[in-house]
Amino acid sequence: MVSELVPNWEDVARRYGRKIYNFAYRLTGNPDDASDLVQEVLLRVRRGLASYTPGSFEGWLWRITRNAFLDSVRRKQRRPTSPLPDDDRATLGSSPSPDEVLASVRLSDDIQAALLKLPIDFRECVVLCDVVGLTYEEIATAVDVPVGTVRSRIHRGRKVLRDMLTWPV
Amino acid sequence: MAGLNESPCGLGELITAYLDGELLAGELDRVVRHLSDCRDCIAEFRRCQEMRTALRTLPRLEIPESLLPSLHYGPELSAYLDGELATVELKAISSHLEACRECRSELHELDSARTAIRSLPRIEPPAFLDARRRPDDLKPNRGVRRYAGLTAGIAAAAVIALGVISTGPAPRQVDVANFADRHLARASVEAGFTVIPAVSTGNTP
Repeated sequence: MVSELVPNWEDVARRYGRKIYNFAYRLTGNPDDASDLVQEVLLRVRRGLASYTPGSFEGWLWRITRNAFLDSVRRKQRRPTSPLPDDDRATLGSSPSPDEVLASVRLSDDIQAALLKLPIDFRECVVLCDVVGLTYEEIATAVDVPVGTVRSRIHRGRKVLRDMLTWPV
Repeated sequence: MAGLNESPCGLGELITAYLDGELLAGELDRVVRHLSDCRDCIAEFRRCQEMRTALRTLPRLEIPESLLPSLHYGPELSAYLDGELATVELKAISSHLEACRECRSELHELDSARTAIRSLPRIEPPAFLDARRRPDDLKPNRGVRRYAGLTAGIAAAAVIALGVISTGPAPRQVDVANFADRHLARASVEAGFTVIPAVSTGNTP
């Protein structure tokens, strides 16, 4: 069925919206930036579907998502008033989302804060692997690096997180 | 390996890939053999596993509804009720229903309506339509004329049946009039439709 090979953007939003939002939230660390990013991704998907040729849809989708994230980081770097998420721990702590309050897991806040301090190259690979659930190969497609690099980044990313969290042995 | 010196055997990256099920065949043998008798690497394996689990059990957040404007299911919900969806659709709709109050309420209404329709009384067909009777019992000429009058009878009976149901323990906000219309439209075009009136004799033209 053709419609399954080239989904419309509503289908994409329904099927992947939550995953994209979780990806965005873990990378940006706050609901506002996550929402902006999701909107941008869905917009790009909408525009891009016209020229999308059936293939690895997830690879295509996550490449768009990841590029949108990088663009948003670059935009923020050009605006000195709005600091990088990496430097923005105070904001993170002061406005936890209702979901986080409900979960009231101190640990997940710590992990989120640590994620934001992780260099972006590592952060995106770890989040794509552990939050989105992609395989190394899918991540390699999305991030446009060899699979071996993905493997190394995930390992080192988790290792650095562990050190930051002084994980109990 | 990765050059982080976290494990004296330098197996760290392979341990991570092992946990993720991403090792190549040759590597897998090597890691499994090594892990079976290296205490340091078993400890490293546990630490990697803990970090991985912590990341993977981070709470999954719901996407704010406002980001998905007018994304609601329509005809798919009826197919959902009837168990007629493909697996992919079923998954998407199930997870959407968890998050979307509007679609849950729509589903509830459809379900009530479906139950109402399905609990319409089954009525015995008039004698001339009863296949159990012998052919020579039937009088075709009269049958045709009576059948012509049947449509009106079907309409009347369906309206009565639906009316009765709608006054009972009412399904919440079901648009009965709308359903009756669709029901009747179907009854008038499909000769084999199952709702056949019990009292229609007076309608013969």
